[in-house]
Amino acid sequence: MEKHAAWRDFYHGLQAVDNGYHMKKIEAIIQPHKLAEVKEALIGIGVEGMTISEVRGHGRQKGHTEMYRGAEYTVDLLPKVKIEMFVADSRAEQIVEVLSAAARSGKIGDGKIFVSSVEVAVRIRNGDRGENAL
Amino acid sequence: MKVQKRTGRSRRQPLGKAFRRGLALAAGILAVWLMPCMGQEGPKPDPAGIATGDKTTAVDAGGNAFVVTEPTDKTAPDYAQKKKDFDDYQSQATKEPLAIKLADSVGHVRLATNFAWTLNTGYLVLFMQAGFALLTCGLVRKKNAGHLMMLNFAAYVFAFIAYYAVGYAFQFGAVAVNAAPTNLGGTPTLNHFLLGHGLWGFLGGKAFFMAGPGYDAGSNVLALFEVVFMETAGYIIVGSICERITFWSFLLCELFIGAILYPVFGCWVWGGGWMSQLGNTLGLGHGYVDFAGSTVVHAVGGFCAMALSVVLGPRLGKFGPNGKPRAFPAHNLVYVVIGTFVLLYGWMGFNPGSTLGATDLRISVVAINTNLAAIAGSATAMLFWYWKFGKPDITMACNGMLAGLVAITAPCAFVGPTSAFVIGILAGLVVCLGVLFNDHVTKIDDPCGAISVHGFCGLLGGISLGLFADGTYGAGWNGVGATSYLGQAGRGVTGLLYGDTKQFLVQLMGAAICATWAFGATFIVFKAVNAVKSMRVSKEVEQEGLDVPEFGLLGYPEDAIHATEA
Repeated sequence: MEKHAAWRDFYHGLQAVDNGYHMKKIEAIIQPHKLAEVKEALIGIGVEGMTISEVRGHGRQKGHTEMYRGAEYTVDLLPKVKIEMFVADSRAEQIVEVLSAAARSGKIGDGKIFVSSVEVAVRIRNGDRGENAL
Repeated sequence: MKVQKRTGRSRRQPLGKAFRRGLALAAGILAVWLMPCMGQEGPKPDPAGIATGDKTTAVDAGGNAFVVTEPTDKTAPDYAQKKKDFDDYQSQATKEPLAIKLADSVGHVRLATNFAWTLNTGYLVLFMQAGFALLTCGLVRKKNAGHLMMLNFAAYVFAFIAYYAVGYAFQFGAVAVNAAPTNLGGTPTLNHFLLGHGLWGFLGGKAFFMAGPGYDAGSNVLALFEVVFMETAGYIIVGSICERITFWSFLLCELFIGAILYPVFGCWVWGGGWMSQLGNTLGLGHGYVDFAGSTVVHAVGGFCAMALSVVLGPRLGKFGPNGKPRAFPAHNLVYVVIGTFVLLYGWMGFNPGSTLGATDLRISVVAINTNLAAIAGSATAMLFWYWKFGKPDITMACNGMLAGLVAITAPCAFVGPTSAFVIGILAGLVVCLGVLFNDHVTKIDDPCGAISVHGFCGLLGGISLGLFADGTYGAGWNGVGATSYLGQAGRGVTGLLYGDTKQFLVQLMGAAICATWAFGATFIVFKAVNAVKSMRVSKEVEQEGLDVPEFGLLGYPEDAIHATEA
């Protein structure tokens, strides 16, 4: 009982800090050559910030083989781009739709989108919390 | 104990004496042997360059001087004619003293033109170092980029030191005996064989440390031009031994090439040595001919690289458990292509410069032939790969261009444009098949294709001279057929397709000797070195990449996330 109560207090404390706002993290792994199109589409609907990283990986498609000077080699970890965005709950659905439409070519290797809940956001410059920090 | 010790010492004493006597005797013999090398007798060196080039070097387009020297052999059948020519010349000279003075300056200016040409083409060859560095660095994995750059850099420095100390003397110390470079004034001070003499010279023996007889304006032009050729052989090996060799053993390789491997064969072919004189001694065509070094430079480097690669063994993981070759793709194709173009540009010094003079107008033919072979080689390699594997390989296209260049280097002055193009096509095929052959049959690991490009195509170059030389150039080459050859006045070096079987035979033989010498000598020396101390880095170092373990810095440091301390 004691333990649970302590946890609940802590959790409520955080919610109190965030004034009850709810946020989502949208993670999208896409083909590198689709990045420009996706970025344009997102800015078009008013997305203000995103973080991009170059990553390597594979899903079901498992890579392919190439020849170099007559010897075979396998490219199994393919270059991809990962986009991370933190947005208000209300915007998440629209963003996911626009993003997946822009990144889609219909071929294997187009990538995936993951959405998860975010509890705390802090702006380092001035200590803003919650949606104000986005 | 004490007694035993004393006995031991007294027993060793006579041995010690004998040893000391032997040492003194050896030193005495060595001194007598080396004395002529240090001697200043004979022609004086001309360090200021003001005594080099006078009326005797003023010649017509065919290389004939108008100054007639007094005949000395009164028993010669044509003595009367020669004496008359000399008397005519003497009477003309006394009638026109101003013409003789003018001829002095014409002769000097002719040599000045040739000096400028030879030095500047030498600078172009020097720039090939940059091309090799880019090419080989681009062809290896990123983790070894710094290592490759250091090898290329140190190759220039250490091979030069070896060549300066003894290499130049071994190669050209006797060049004036049989092969005086008349375009540069003949370098008369380089006139002594350390081993052999006359038409059977094996090792030059003047101008050690480029001093004494080597401290001469003409000799120094030759030294600059030839040292950059030796350097070329010096870093050909980098392409085969990279990604696994320790730095100390690499330095030994470079000293070995600069002091012994390259100069010895170079003396035999270019220093007036025995192979160049086979036309005079055994009647084999014009002797062994290699215009700019398909064999003397490239095959020597290529087969040295092959021997070193065999001694070192393949890179970790290059061949799978079933012997199947694995690919380690090039990390920077931009470097590879730029490096290849830099090499092509440098080759415009390598081949045309080998006339050692701009007054030899064959230079334009040489330049065009060199380019034709380069494009033919590259086109062949591109199309071959396209046909065989479905996609043309950029690195093989570059190797194909270099293959064409290597193969045309020996015959470039003696063949016409069609033959040059055909030689390029053959080289393109040889390099493609050579790379596949090494990967699938011999299992010799050659990361940059140096063995195929320089070794195999170098031999092709030497042999194709014996096939395609058309006889339009090189009358009197190596002292053969100055007045007429194959019954024709002015006929030069001629290949099998134009009717000289013996030239073809001597080219085959020379190419075989080249490969045997370069592979054999390197293999014996470095098999022994490797037995004493392994020339290879440890397994862990090879996996990590050689940059940090060998030199303490990554080729691309920004790639590694590292903590910076305040």
